[in-house]
Amino acid sequence: MTTHPAPVIVPGTDEDVDFDKPWQVVVWDDPVNTMSYVVYVFRKLFGYDEAKATKLMLEVHHDGRAIVSDGPREQAEIDCFRLHNHGLWATVEQ
Amino acid sequence: MTTFRITDGGIAVEMSPEERMFLGDVLPLLAGIGARGSDPAADRLMVPVYLNDPDANEEWWRLMGQDLDAARQADRAVFSKMVTGEAPVVLDLEEADAVLRVLNEVRLALGARLGIEVAADHDELAEESRQVMDYLGWIQEELTVELTRAL
Repeated sequence: MTTHPAPVIVPGTDEDVDFDKPWQVVVWDDPVNTMSYVVYVFRKLFGYDEAKATKLMLEVHHDGRAIVSDGPREQAEIDCFRLHNHGLWATVEQ
Repeated sequence: MTTFRITDGGIAVEMSPEERMFLGDVLPLLAGIGARGSDPAADRLMVPVYLNDPDANEEWWRLMGQDLDAARQADRAVFSKMVTGEAPVVLDLEEADAVLRVLNEVRLALGARLGIEVAADHDELAEESRQVMDYLGWIQEELTVELTRAL
């Protein structure tokens, strides 16, 4: 859930965009970031409780990636920025 | 060993003079990171945001890259203040977060340059490199624990 408006996209500039599908922020596994740090970052940036943040961290660790947030493209890109600023490798996909 | 401890006034930092000197060396290392494609540290700190859309990736970095760099520079300034400030050093929570990000950033940069691609690579490092990574990891963990308590 987000209160941010969807970004303005001029029709026809990106034919692959599906306006009904949310954009997802994916965090990828990394051999250097520690488990406790990743849990801390998820809790701090997204307000997740310890159980949810730990579950996502373990998903990243075991599956190689986890979707940590979704919403309008603009919000996904901002979330990605915040994660990169904390050294986590995050990508945006739809 | 450096310790971080929550107090009423923030996070109190205790460091030996030797640790201050060692941690001070972190900053020129980060300042000396080269360009993407020529320095593994740069490749790790500027990873793609869109994996299958080079144009969108380039656009994200064009719009966000400078802000990300500025945020990292601001964090490093706080880190510099910590290692050069007069004892006792006390950080507020935002400053402590900045220090935590720098510790993580330098471990990512070093890890990339040392060729750590999977977790097991850490055990194959030369003794000195492994000690540096372990030391930085240890103090990062100390600070993570304290900041987690403050959430």
